[in-house]
Amino acid sequence: MMLRVTESRPVESAVDVQEIRRVFTPRKREPVTALDGVSLTIPVGEVHGLLGPNGAGKTTLVKILSTVLLPTSGKASVLGHDVVEEARAVRPQIGIVFGGERGLYWRLSGRQNLEYWGALYKLSRAEIRERTERLLDRVGLTDRADERVETYSRGMKQRLHLARGLMGDAKVLFLDEPTTGMDPLAAREFRALITELRGEGRTILLATHDMAEAEALCDRVTLIDHGAIIATESPRTLGRVILRFQRIDVEGAGEEVLGRIAGLAGVESVAPAEGGARIEVAETGVTADVLKLLVDAGVTSVRTSLPSLEEVYVHLIGDRGLRV
Amino acid sequence: MRPFLAGYRLELRIVRASPDTLIPFFTAPLFTIIFLTIVRHGGRHDLQPDALMAPVLMTLWWFALFQGGNLVTGDRWQGMLEWILATPSSLAVVILGRISAIMTLGSFGFLEVWAIGKLVFGVSIPFEHPFALALTLLVTIFAMAGTAVVFAALFVLTRNSYTFANSASFPFYVLGGVFVPIALLPGWIQPVTKVIFMSWSSDLLRASVRPSPIHDEWGRLGMVLLIGGLSFLFGRFVLRLVLRRMRTSGELATA
Repeated sequence: MMLRVTESRPVESAVDVQEIRRVFTPRKREPVTALDGVSLTIPVGEVHGLLGPNGAGKTTLVKILSTVLLPTSGKASVLGHDVVEEARAVRPQIGIVFGGERGLYWRLSGRQNLEYWGALYKLSRAEIRERTERLLDRVGLTDRADERVETYSRGMKQRLHLARGLMGDAKVLFLDEPTTGMDPLAAREFRALITELRGEGRTILLATHDMAEAEALCDRVTLIDHGAIIATESPRTLGRVILRFQRIDVEGAGEEVLGRIAGLAGVESVAPAEGGARIEVAETGVTADVLKLLVDAGVTSVRTSLPSLEEVYVHLIGDRGLRV
Repeated sequence: MRPFLAGYRLELRIVRASPDTLIPFFTAPLFTIIFLTIVRHGGRHDLQPDALMAPVLMTLWWFALFQGGNLVTGDRWQGMLEWILATPSSLAVVILGRISAIMTLGSFGFLEVWAIGKLVFGVSIPFEHPFALALTLLVTIFAMAGTAVVFAALFVLTRNSYTFANSASFPFYVLGGVFVPIALLPGWIQPVTKVIFMSWSSDLLRASVRPSPIHDEWGRLGMVLLIGGLSFLFGRFVLRLVLRRMRTSGELATA
């Protein structure tokens, strides 16, 4: 199912992607289209979520915007600079944080890693020293700053990645699965940090498959799958888009009434659930018909609920499980 | 200058954290003993300075080829390469800084070889032209760093860069006249050696430890500098081409 959600184009954009297409051609294998005509505009100061399953094209888009991967066709710019033609102008403006444990010198300390990164951003010695201390403190690594990265937990490495991404004082931050490996507490602190960064006026593109994270942090979310954008909207609006997928939890309903409900047009499923049944509708207005049938049958324990972003995600992208 | 210094400082820290990278300092004394034994056993005591200069050059070249040549490949495998490229610094300059740090460390091989010659055989490096010797070592280190950038750019295209590094070491020992002077090689090989900076360096190093005046010292130093400089520029060009290719194919990072 493809939803077309109209997107208003802001005047001042931090990221502007127009019809980007990226095809990978592995040796002795069929070409793979990672991005297929993606267009996206992110205004300055927005926290924008890029939500999709593994293999959807999120990382490919982030890499193109980071100037490290060339698009097959199309145009993309960051703060007005073309990522291909003006890559040198883009690089001082961006910071990148990737999930996972790679991308750090393990035999060096956290502080030494950050100092190296500061020097690559051509900061003065005083700036490097000041920024390193501040960021180590900000990500809670001051006490372990002089220990080798190889002794860090996965979550600590992830926090160091974030500090690294901030060394250049980037105006635009690309975060790709940044909370991978973090424990819930660290992930919560990380989200608080993102809120702080937004308060500083930075633009953030957050690629994730964590719906709760996107819902909590993002001004707008783009759903992407198979290299194509499905929808771009605020998490709340996106939720309203599929209000028709409302779910109704009932207790004490008999087989007969549930059978009649299952036969209604627009009812997607009726499935047993803890203490009763869960009814999922697939069309606007069907909820009222279902509720009427239930009330007429004397069922009073009924609860309807609004869709979470996760439900939006599953409905729009489909329940692919681990398949990519 | 900051990216160069960033690379220089980083490499010193990496070496400090990974002492295994200093393995040539364990092999240099062995080569020194082998070469000195050969010339002494053959009754050619006049060639003892040559036998001392060869391990110095071999140690330096090992550092340039194996350590310097594998820097980009190493960063790629560690998942660093993409993110370094996304910073405002030139990768070629950062790499040159790192290789320069390696070569600085490699130059301590000179002192080591000198000490081994003195302690084991009682043979010292004769400082007949100390200024020329120091200057030749300096420009040789510069040229090696420049040449290592070429290898760093090319090795990233290979699946097993150490095999290539191993294969590239011996031709350079021969064509660079590291132990056997170029003049003793077959005539048809000699023109090829003129484009190898080490052939100029090794001759000049040997000349600077002999009492006779050095012929065309500045011209030969200039050739080492020129070939080294051109090598760096060529390496930077190749690196740019290779990185462009990898940005196109999406191979900057390994899975």
